[in-house]
Amino acid sequence: MLKINNLSAKIENKSILQDFKLEINPGEVHAIMGPNGSGKSTLSNILSGKKGYDVTGEVLFENNDLFSLETEERAHKGIFLAFQYPLEIPGVNTNVFLKTSLNAIKKARGEKELDAIQFLKLVKEKAKELKFDEEKLGRQLNVGFSGGEKKKNEILQMSILNPKLSILDETDSGLDIDALKTVADGVNALRKKNNSFLIITHYQRLLEYIKPDFVHVLMNGKIIKSGGPELALELEKKGYENIN
Amino acid sequence: MEEQLKIDFEKKLKDFSYSDQEKKFKETNFKEFLKNGFPNRKLENWKFSDLNQIIKNNIGELTFYNDYKKENQIDKIELISELEHNKIIIVDGKIEKIDFKFEDKDKIDVLVEQSEETIKENINSLINLNNAFSNKFCKIIIKKNYSLKKPLIIYHSTNKNTQSKNTNSRIDFKLEENACLRLIDIFKDNSEKNFLNIYYNFELDKSSILKNYKIDKAINNNVKYSYNNVKQEANSISETFILSSGSKFFKNEINCDLQGQHSSAFVNGIFDLDDENHHEIKSNINHLVENTKSYQLVKSVLEKKSKAVYQGKIFVSSEAQKTDGYQLSNAILLSENSEFNAKPELEIYADDVKCSHGSSSGSLDENSIFYLMSRGLNYKEAKKLLINGFLLDVIEKITDEEIKNLIKDLLGVKQ
Repeated sequence: MLKINNLSAKIENKSILQDFKLEINPGEVHAIMGPNGSGKSTLSNILSGKKGYDVTGEVLFENNDLFSLETEERAHKGIFLAFQYPLEIPGVNTNVFLKTSLNAIKKARGEKELDAIQFLKLVKEKAKELKFDEEKLGRQLNVGFSGGEKKKNEILQMSILNPKLSILDETDSGLDIDALKTVADGVNALRKKNNSFLIITHYQRLLEYIKPDFVHVLMNGKIIKSGGPELALELEKKGYENIN
Repeated sequence: MEEQLKIDFEKKLKDFSYSDQEKKFKETNFKEFLKNGFPNRKLENWKFSDLNQIIKNNIGELTFYNDYKKENQIDKIELISELEHNKIIIVDGKIEKIDFKFEDKDKIDVLVEQSEETIKENINSLINLNNAFSNKFCKIIIKKNYSLKKPLIIYHSTNKNTQSKNTNSRIDFKLEENACLRLIDIFKDNSEKNFLNIYYNFELDKSSILKNYKIDKAINNNVKYSYNNVKQEANSISETFILSSGSKFFKNEINCDLQGQHSSAFVNGIFDLDDENHHEIKSNINHLVENTKSYQLVKSVLEKKSKAVYQGKIFVSSEAQKTDGYQLSNAILLSENSEFNAKPELEIYADDVKCSHGSSSGSLDENSIFYLMSRGLNYKEAKKLLINGFLLDVIEKITDEEIKNLIKDLLGVKQ
């Protein structure tokens, strides 16, 4: 599904990712763990199309050259980024935003757009599953939401848009244990044969609830070690400095 | 210009048999205008918008005579169909039609005699020009305790063949105690390169409510100035909303004298400007007695080489304790060549007051754009959603739901 070959990224001549390699197949859950400044967020930004990076190398998503696609085209093809810091958008109603987003993607795929009633039914159902306060759907997007509510809103968007590849950028940070479980349940509900996940995190905590198939350790812009779920536990014990 | 003015003014005086009082009024105002001419940037009020230059650059030489005996065609003016309304139609400064068909006839008076008080006024040179050249006097009185059932829409139009002309119109309004008027101004420009000068004089008696929505949306090459003079008695409310967008140049000036306790004034505005359009809102809110309130919010979205100016003044006299005055302006500049000028002014002589002001300007937040695009919206859609969101809180200030929806439709912000 996703193939990253020799990806290097610089921002204003500062090298962040170097010869990064990763392959994610349909249905797989990969976790990338690394200390602050190791390049985790840069990776998620580049995959979703944020401007401001000089990149070399190749990224293929379902055999499409990702760098030839605009941010919104990547979303249309099924890439979703759950933001580390979801933005507050004043004056934009959350429901209106969700519907605009879903229908933009459906339209680009040539699918039938949802009308207001169909949409409300879907969003209510998903909000209930995620224990997301329905009243918040009528409010301005993320404005006045707590940190946890913002993160849950990201997962709500993910479950409505039903992407093929979801990238979760430190979704666990700022969540209490109950919210963490709800978020994990949301992710697990989406785990199917064809949906893949890339979970970026500092800690092993989230991975207790979302079992990854592979764990990679990112240090200084490179994957220095890959393994199964047990690698996360080893990291937790030894710390990043002593892993090799 | 002076020669032209004199010829046109002579012509005008010959057209009608004015009473001695009217004649004197017009002559006095004419002399004042001759003395001062069009305002330029030497005047503090006009330093961001030099009207003299603006007229020269966009129109050239103006003529001032309008034949008020001539009947203008009004059947081709496209009227608002979305809501039922009373109407006044003004063409080239001449009131062609007054139609209060939804109202009780004995609750509204239309007067043509001028009162003593208005004769003495000397506000600025453009009001002098207006008084000298405008047609017959017209004063609309809404009787005590009467609320108009439907809004009044005033259509401001120009004839197809009117060009390089100055047109002047003036209407006085009196809202008696506890009366209520919803007034919408709509511009239907059928010709280019004219200077429209509009003057409204409002007397708001105790507990009356005036809501004035000025909608300048259709694109046109005319230069416009509008002056609202509002005098407010106790417990009266004035709400002014300005959508400033379509004209080449438009300056809206609002003067509110809060002279009765617990009176309040709200002035909200949107500048939605493109190309080289240059618009201004100038407000003077005068808190003259205790316990009065004013609130102002102005938001701007500026494309290309457009320029917006907001000069908001809050004056608090030494008697006006417990004044509550607030003003805020925010601008989004969508191009490096667009310009936003804000000059907030607070002049306070009382010590127990609550007054604040603020202003910000910046570009569209790229991170927000990225967030929306990562959810499948293209750049244009993301930008539109953000701008609509930005403007929405001014639109939400409109207290009349029907008119709020009309304005949302016009701006395409319906959610």
